[in-house]
Amino acid sequence: MIDPMTVLAILAMAGVTYLTRIGGYVVLRNRTLGPRATAVMEAAPGCVLISVIAPDFVSKNPADLAALAITVLAATRLPMLPTVVIGVASAGTLRWLMGG
Amino acid sequence: MSVSEIALAEGPTANGRGAEFRRGLAASTPVLLGIVPYALVLGAQAAQKGLSVGEVPLMTGLNFAGGSEFAAIRLWSSPPHILLIAAITLLINSRHFLMGAALAPFINHLPKRQVFPALFLMCDESWAVGLADAQRRASAGMRPAFSLAYYLGAALPFYLAWVAFTTCGAALGPVLGNVETYGFAMAFPAVFLVLLSGMWKGFAAARPWLVSLAVAALTYLVVPGAWYVAAGALSGLVAAWFLAGEK
Repeated sequence: MIDPMTVLAILAMAGVTYLTRIGGYVVLRNRTLGPRATAVMEAAPGCVLISVIAPDFVSKNPADLAALAITVLAATRLPMLPTVVIGVASAGTLRWLMGG
Repeated sequence: MSVSEIALAEGPTANGRGAEFRRGLAASTPVLLGIVPYALVLGAQAAQKGLSVGEVPLMTGLNFAGGSEFAAIRLWSSPPHILLIAAITLLINSRHFLMGAALAPFINHLPKRQVFPALFLMCDESWAVGLADAQRRASAGMRPAFSLAYYLGAALPFYLAWVAFTTCGAALGPVLGNVETYGFAMAFPAVFLVLLSGMWKGFAAARPWLVSLAVAALTYLVVPGAWYVAAGALSGLVAAWFLAGEK
């Protein structure tokens, strides 16, 4: 039920995440970052998020690519819940229509 | 009513702890409803990757950072690649450094035994709600500007809902079968795209993201394994470093 390697991976995640949560308070509260370091810190979350979903942008399934385009449009205009619903519905519908 | 509660009630904030907690609860309720489907999808995807109903709340309860959990589940293998998962978690959650630094001046007056547990509950939503309230109270001349009970009222239900509904998702996932066939795979990019859209500060600021996207996509096509995430993220950070020199 509980796998030791899984627990180890989860503990590693939890430890790293807690360090990021207290790190800003502990290290940065009496300092100011330089402009370059600030730019890198500000860009970091977006760079990671887009990298994780990069494979979806080069999918070999045309139905998924079309659904992704619809989802990108939705994400620029709508909140989380409707965007997820539109993304899932368009992927499901287009796969069915295009036989992907 | 304990002595400390009397002291709080008679302080400049005028509100008791219970009232402050309820005020925080009210502020976070709309967001709370929004995360339920998101939590269910994460739990279901985790179950598909082989995590058990016991392991899912272990992850979401100890880590409690949705973006990194979606990424970790996406990259999960059996056995999991621990270093890769820890590195990706660090990169995704590096924004917490900035969030904590922004919050620091408002929580400096609190004892460390309250600050360290409170920071465990700091997520995008509780941070935004807590900081906005502290700024509002500061400009209204209230001291202390940061209300710990308000922050906890916003953060604790969020935490409980996150752990509870990811667990539900893990339990219900196998019943739903292979969610991919219904197009549920698109939930991942959809969630990430909305998060990115919320971080959007104009095209110039997003140029490192484009570098990341291009390098990650190319790496994904030519290099086997999950290295595309690290390659894409690092090249985006290098781009951000060089682009910052333009100003």
